[in-house]
Amino acid sequence: MTILKHEIRRNVKTLIIWTTCVGFICFSCLMLFHSLEDTMEEMAGAYAQMGAFSAALGLDRLNIGTPEGFYATEIALIFAIGGAMFAAMTGAGIVAKEEEGHTAEFLCTLPFGRKQILLSKYAAMVLLIMFFQAVCLLWIAAGFAGIGVFLEKDSFFLYHAMQFLMQLEVGSICFLISAVCKKRQIGMALGFSVLLYLADLLCRAIPDLERLKYLTPFYFSNAADLFTNKSADIEMAVISLAVTAVCLTAAAFVYEKRDLAS
Amino acid sequence: MKQAIEIEKLTKRYGKHRGVEQISLTVAEGDIFGFLGPNGAGKSTTIRSMLGLLRYQDGEIRIFGKKAGKQQKELLSSIGYMPSEAMFYPGMKVSEVIRFAADARRMDCGKEATRICEILEIDKNKKTEELSLGNRKKVSIVCAMQHKPGLLILDEPTSGLDPLMQEAFFDLLLEYNREGTTIFLSSHALSEVRRYCKNAAIIKDGSIIKTDTVEHLSKSNIRRVTISGNGRRETFDFKGSIKELLRQINEMEASVPIDDLLIEEPPLEELFMHYYE
Repeated sequence: MTILKHEIRRNVKTLIIWTTCVGFICFSCLMLFHSLEDTMEEMAGAYAQMGAFSAALGLDRLNIGTPEGFYATEIALIFAIGGAMFAAMTGAGIVAKEEEGHTAEFLCTLPFGRKQILLSKYAAMVLLIMFFQAVCLLWIAAGFAGIGVFLEKDSFFLYHAMQFLMQLEVGSICFLISAVCKKRQIGMALGFSVLLYLADLLCRAIPDLERLKYLTPFYFSNAADLFTNKSADIEMAVISLAVTAVCLTAAAFVYEKRDLAS
Repeated sequence: MKQAIEIEKLTKRYGKHRGVEQISLTVAEGDIFGFLGPNGAGKSTTIRSMLGLLRYQDGEIRIFGKKAGKQQKELLSSIGYMPSEAMFYPGMKVSEVIRFAADARRMDCGKEATRICEILEIDKNKKTEELSLGNRKKVSIVCAMQHKPGLLILDEPTSGLDPLMQEAFFDLLLEYNREGTTIFLSSHALSEVRRYCKNAAIIKDGSIIKTDTVEHLSKSNIRRVTISGNGRRETFDFKGSIKELLRQINEMEASVPIDDLLIEEPPLEELFMHYYE
């Protein structure tokens, strides 16, 4: 608990900044819904002409002029990329920062044991992702309340549950990198999360690249799919959980075996 | 006698580079043990292996009978460690760092921490990034000592401390030692080792070259002789019996009259220099 509390305290400023930025953008966009409603029909028509790109963004299945379509194609995009970046950044820094900041010697000579240090840090990362989700959900709920519209609860919460799994997977991959590296790889983590989003776009737009869907967690957590199908792709969610578990196990194995720099 | 530290044939390599090779060492409970050696000799590698920061290829380390690696958590509970360059989390107050170290041990060390802070004149409200090297050292002394450990491992503890603080620090060490704490002191300051340590080991090129009492290590039959006479002054080192030395001085006086004569032990640094070279 000591390390868990310590990590939460140390990351609270970053959490506030990211939840404020992502949450406020989602809230502001939602508040624009009614003022954009009139032009949405024209936009929907324009998007329909865009072929594969339209399909990649889910605009072939949802109408951007409806609150559900607007949320799934616009707001969800901001939330997904912002959430993945936050998870990646948190995961990439949480272990490696000790060696980079020369505090590893202080922390690892206290009677915790490396396994406990790693698991506590992982638990802190999971909690931070949960806080991120919860605070952003409050901003989004405030946005919906502001425009007087509410979405169907099941699809909405299914989407956010899948987003949590996606953020957990991205965070866990970066956590593994953090356990291996002696320096924080924040740039790499942010680039990695954008790359995963692009992989989702590409596998939807280009049939030959369809297999990329197994690599990117943005695929199974796609808002347009979840709001259209009203159900999650269980197989992909299980793969995501497996990747998460493998990353945590590998991180624990590597961290237990390697030398720590002062 | 019970051993606090037992190191058997410890070997640690960094890829192709040598760390330490087959070193063995024992430190008895209650001892103040000096660990000497030039830069890069393997002092830090040995200490970091004991603390579980490095994973070594061969050998065994036991502290109070507990095996390093397998019982690392229990082993670290009985150790207080002071690194040569202490770093703490930026943004935290000194009091928060000290409490964090106490919480890690699930102990209420408030009383002892306050006492040491008063002795070392530490401002607990300062942020860690505002601390000088010396003040960071003082905070690491509190973190290492507040739980009254069975073994204190100190890596260059006095670098950065002013002479008054060094004195206060060693008074604290001696007080802990009287209460039963074993002290393992890695240092470049030979005078410190001579003054406070009972036993010492010298490490060079990754191997222990000598382990003995400090008294034996610093004892030598070399004498530095300075002779003045006839406006000249000559200094030379003499190794041999006093009888032989007196005979040589008599011979010298026969050719040049001696006005003054000084026979002394060479400085400690010079006595140890041949171990380092």
